[in-house]
Amino acid sequence: MIRKHENSDSWKAGIYAIVVHLALLAGMLISFNWKAAHPVLNVTEVELWDKLPAAKPVIKEEPKPEPKPEIKEEPKPEPKPVVEEKPKPEEPKVDIELEKKKKELEQKEKLLEEKRRKDEALEKLKQEAREDELREKKAAEKAKHDEALRKLKEDMLNESGADDTKAASAANASLIGEYTEKIKAKIRGNVNKTLCGDGNPELRFEISVLPTGQLSGSPRLIKSSDNSTCDEAVERAIIASEPLPLPDEPNLKAQFKNLKLKFRPND
Amino acid sequence: MTVANDMSLFTLITGASLPVQLVMLILLITSLFSWWYIFIKVATIKRAEAESENFENAFWTGGDLNKLYEGVTAGRRKPQGMASIFEAGFKEFIRHKQQAKMEISDVMEGSRRAMRAAYNRELDDLDAHLPFLASVGSVSPYIGLFGTVWGIMNAFRGLSNVAQATLSQVAPGIAEALVATAIGLFAAIPAVIAYNRFASSVDRLSVRYESFMEEFTNILQRKS
Repeated sequence: MIRKHENSDSWKAGIYAIVVHLALLAGMLISFNWKAAHPVLNVTEVELWDKLPAAKPVIKEEPKPEPKPEIKEEPKPEPKPVVEEKPKPEEPKVDIELEKKKKELEQKEKLLEEKRRKDEALEKLKQEAREDELREKKAAEKAKHDEALRKLKEDMLNESGADDTKAASAANASLIGEYTEKIKAKIRGNVNKTLCGDGNPELRFEISVLPTGQLSGSPRLIKSSDNSTCDEAVERAIIASEPLPLPDEPNLKAQFKNLKLKFRPND
Repeated sequence: MTVANDMSLFTLITGASLPVQLVMLILLITSLFSWWYIFIKVATIKRAEAESENFENAFWTGGDLNKLYEGVTAGRRKPQGMASIFEAGFKEFIRHKQQAKMEISDVMEGSRRAMRAAYNRELDDLDAHLPFLASVGSVSPYIGLFGTVWGIMNAFRGLSNVAQATLSQVAPGIAEALVATAIGLFAAIPAVIAYNRFASSVDRLSVRYESFMEEFTNILQRKS
């Protein structure tokens, strides 16, 4: 293997060879990102989820600032004059200082009690006002939701799906709509949009979701986007999105047995 | 769906199937040896060039050939390169000259043969390991490719049981398999480069030795 005249170099050369290999190994370990790029998928998921809950905070923020100014203006002017009028006529009637003091104490207690009562009344008023407002808001929101849902339903559940949803109440329908949107958002996060080209293809899938959120069977393509790679990309995204988000009520879960989803991946 | 998040180099290597791991091991060993030989050859060829340079300088300064011969043979170690050719030729020449009855042409023939033998030995030493480098350069990509093909075959065979074929199911297997090709290329590329460089260096040295032989024969002929 090694010639006689090479003996003097062999040790040095061996060490160099090992150093070269270690350097290559280190270079590979440093220069490559050996972690798979899956975090990218999760990031898109988070971004898309942000849109949905945005509807709720808007409801909570609006009622708080409005009721307070309204309530404070109305009740405060009323109670204050009442408090000041009552004690003044009573003071001059009393002669003895002790009695004065006693009465003063009593008056103070009365004042405190009255204040308490007024506060309670105030709070009741406030709460009522708040509840009224909330009720109105909720009703308005529900009306909006229902209308949006009706439109959605008309769009998405043209044929057989409409029968199922007719049976469900309006509240249930809103929940179903909400979760349908959630399911679509989750799937949308997993779609590889580059596979769907530049246009705005539309495709429809029918899926049946088990109560666990798992799919039963594979998604059925109802309307293709005329682009088989795009169809496959969406199908893979649907499978990758398991478990799908479902409402907690068991009777609502049954509504997702036959779910028709419409996708526009490039929206 | 199982998604392998950990794609570090070591999990890729330990996760590979046994034949692929064997291929990787073979390639790693050949790569180590080829680099070892590369460094040895760099050192020996550099030394041979330096020695022939020194010897030519000493030879052409026009000193006494007997003194030069004594200087070459006085060293403890055997003369190398051009010096060993000179030593073999001159020793043969002196030996023949001492037997006074020899014809000049026979003396020259004898010393030429001795120099040719020394030259062949020197060239053999210079050529050492070059065939190994050549075969590493040409074969190790194929060994790496074999490992890769084997690994990809495995990856796709696992895919046949799955209804929904996704890229993430084959990707780890292919990545594992491609490590074998990477190692093979890492062994092959430097081996090919080194082989070409050393071959041209050895050629140049051998031409230098041969021309020295011719010139030295002329000098001996004039001397006799």
